[in-house]
Order: sequence, then structure tokens, then C-alpha cells
Amino acid sequence: MTARVTGKRWRDQAAVAVVAAVLGVLVVIQLRTQQADPGLSALSAQDLTVLIANLNTRNGQLREEVATLSRELSTLSASQARGQSSVDQIRRDLAKVRAWSGLDPVAGRGVRILVSGPIDGPGVEELLNELRNAGAEAISVGGVRLVAGTVVAGSTGSIGVETTLLADPFEVVAIGSPEVLTGSLTRAGGVISLLAATHPQVHVVVTPADGLQVPATIRSLAPSHGAPRL
Amino acid sequence: MTGLRARLRAVQTWQITLGLALLVLGFLIAAQLASERPRVRYTTQERSPLVDAVRELQAQQEDLKSAILGLRQEIQDGEGQGEGSALLVRQLNDQLQQARLAAGLVALTGPGVVFRLEDGTSGSSGSRGESIVTAKDVRTLVEELWLAGAEAVAVNNERVLAGTAFLDIGGSVLVNSAYLAPPYTVTAIGPANLYARVSASRGFVELYRVRTQKGGIVLTYAERDGLRVPAFAGTVNLSAGHPVPSATPSGPASDAPAGTP
Repeated sequence: MTARVTGKRWRDQAAVAVVAAVLGVLVVIQLRTQQADPGLSALSAQDLTVLIANLNTRNGQLREEVATLSRELSTLSASQARGQSSVDQIRRDLAKVRAWSGLDPVAGRGVRILVSGPIDGPGVEELLNELRNAGAEAISVGGVRLVAGTVVAGSTGSIGVETTLLADPFEVVAIGSPEVLTGSLTRAGGVISLLAATHPQVHVVVTPADGLQVPATIRSLAPSHGAPRL
Repeated sequence: MTGLRARLRAVQTWQITLGLALLVLGFLIAAQLASERPRVRYTTQERSPLVDAVRELQAQQEDLKSAILGLRQEIQDGEGQGEGSALLVRQLNDQLQQARLAAGLVALTGPGVVFRLEDGTSGSSGSRGESIVTAKDVRTLVEELWLAGAEAVAVNNERVLAGTAFLDIGGSVLVNSAYLAPPYTVTAIGPANLYARVSASRGFVELYRVRTQKGGIVLTYAERDGLRVPAFAGTVNLSAGHPVPSATPSGPASDAPAGTP
């Protein structure tokens, strides 16, 4: 009788031990799952390779920016050490920031893109997204400068940007490396190929060009709801 | 009643422990299965160095962004201390500060709305891929916020500006070439009724109908005061282009510039 009771107790304890062990393993797995980057664990080796290329490019650009800013700071410090004014440096900075933000026009080389046919706002935005990804420094659509907040919207036949209704055809001007911009837009499987599939009647012609100009924005970029956090 | 008490007393402690443990076990198995569902997990060993490389590059990127913001602040402080014509320096600095604000190089705080886009478990067709948030979903939401009057937007703390591209990479998204993992938090500063405006727009309603109700992605929002949108921590560079002198080069950023179309 005693032996039977002891055996039963042993089985009960063994069952609890097994359940506790499985529980422990699952807790650890679950915690690791939560800690791991959910995005990275979902990427294939090919995606990771593309991501590494993108991160390398971006980090290279950021390093260049750090180098440029370091030079600016050294020049500024040297000028001040000599008792000279920082007016020239501020003016250069001001001109660059105003042009880059869209407050002033930008001139240079890049591409002209003539878009004709029945296209809607989202279709144009796909094209613009590709230009941005290819490093376009300034873009205008139908003569309207794109800045933060500018969206080409509307359905086929009535698309507009800011207060301008876009004609058919209309022109997109992008300042940037003509080779990179053209290559990115026209590559096999690129945005123009995709547009040809989704908008078969739309024609997009890309022409590399020098001496282009994109105008300044007509929009006020001064925030009226947000306050600077300095 | 006495019978029930007697039965309860007869329940052994180990039985209660085992019952609780099994309950937790069941919960954990369900949680594990749910977390595995929408995204395929690749566990081959050769991916590990690639993942490590990505993490290393991401860490470098964060350091570089911090360095850029720090250097900009130092330059800004240095320019403010310039000698020479104090009045001229002060005026130019004011204009530069306004231009930086307009360019998104300064962090903003203000009222607005925060959206959160998350992968769902599956869409109406039962497809897992359909319920994963794409770059286009994030971009469409940002565009709708711009159209509704947002004046500053960030996605997972990455400031969205005129040159921001949104790209798919696997099941994740690149914004400003920065790798962002889901869920995606889209923070927008704008008028107090920004959410009412955006939720009434046709594009937003379509996004909600197609991607949330049918696609299965999860879209939540909260209206808040004192939201923070960070400064852009990237390159401010014109290499193929150059500034065209404006007729009013020293005008404040809020003025309509001379080079309007």
C-alpha cells in the first residue's frame, strides 16, 4: 500500500517537473522572440544584402556631412580666433539651407520628365518616390517646387499640386545626377516599367539635361502649430 | 455546500500547481504561434553575420546622426557669437534660424496625432503577406496627413521632408534610407483637428477600407498635445545643383520667396 502511494507521488512529481521544464523552455523562447528585432528576423539573406548596401550608402553620405560640418566649424572657429566676422559663413549657410529647403530656386543638371496620358495622383507620387530614392536634390512638378507637405493628388484627368491643376502632358524637373536619375527610372522592373503595367496609356519620357532650374516654393514653410524645440 | 467544501479540500496542492502551469503553458504556446505567424523566420546560420553587419551599420548610423546634430548646434552657437557688425550678424542668424526651421533641421513640438501601423495576422483573403505593412501604406498615410494640413511628420523618429523616399525591404521599410522595423509610428504636428480632417479624406478612408478592413493591417491613433517631431539628421547637400540668388536673399523664411513660379 505504502509502495503504491510512493509510486503515485513520484509520478505526480515527475509530471510537474516535465511541465515545469517545458514551461521554462517556452518562457525563454518567448522572451528571446520579444527581444529580437522582429524586422531583421523576417528578412531573407538577399534582403539583408540589399539592406546592407543601402545602409552603407547612407552612412557614407552621413560621413560626408559630418566632414563638411566639421570643416565649417573649423573655419568658423579660425575666423573668430583671428577676430574676423562670421558673416560670410552665415551667408553661405543661409543660401544653402534656403535653396535646399525650397525657399529659393535651385539650378543645375538633372532630368526633364514628360508625362502624358491618363495618370492619377498616386501614379505620379510613385514616380516622385523613385526620384527621391535616386537622390534628386530638388524637384518641380508642372512648375511647382516640391517641399515637405507637397503632394500630387487627384484622380485621372484632374490631378493637381498645391493650387495648380496639371495639364496633359506635364513636366517634372529633377536636379541631381542625370545618369543616376535616368538609370533608376528606366531600369528593367523600375518605376516606369511598373507604370506601363498599371497605367498602359501613360507615356513617360526621361531626358537628361544641363542648365535646369526648379523654382522656389509658393508655400509658407514657417510652422504655425508646432514650436521649435531648441 | 459541505460536500463542495470537502471536495475542494480534497484537491491536492500539486494539482493546483499543475493546473496553473498548464494554463501558462497554453498561453505561451499560443503567444509563440501568434508571433511566428505573419512573418517567415529565416534561421539559416549564414544569415547571422549579415544580421550582425546590419546591426553594426545601424549603430554607426545612429552615431553619425548624433554627430551631425551636435555639429549643427555647435556651428549655430558659434555663428551667434561672431564678431564684426553685431546687428548684421544677429539679423543673419535670425534668418538662418528661420530657414533651418523651414527646412526641418529643428525639432518641433506641438499638437497633432500619432498613428501606429502594425502587421495583422491575416487579410480577408487569408494571405499572410496581405496583412504586412508596406512602404506604400506608410507613404499613403503620410501623404494624407500632409493633405490634411500637417506641418511636420516623422516615421519612427525619422523626419519626413521633400526628399524622403519610402522603400520596401523584405517585410520592413526604409525611410530616408534608414531601416525601420514595424510597428511604424507616424507622428504628425498640425492643427488641433488634424485627425478629424485626415479621417474625413477620401484617400484615408480608402486606405482604411482596403488595407485595414480587407488587408488586415492594424491602424490605431491617438490625438495628443506636446508631440515631438525630431530634426532631420541627414545630409543637406546640393552637389548637382546650386542655389539661385534670390532677389530678397535676406528675407525671412515665412515670406514668399522671390523665385516663385
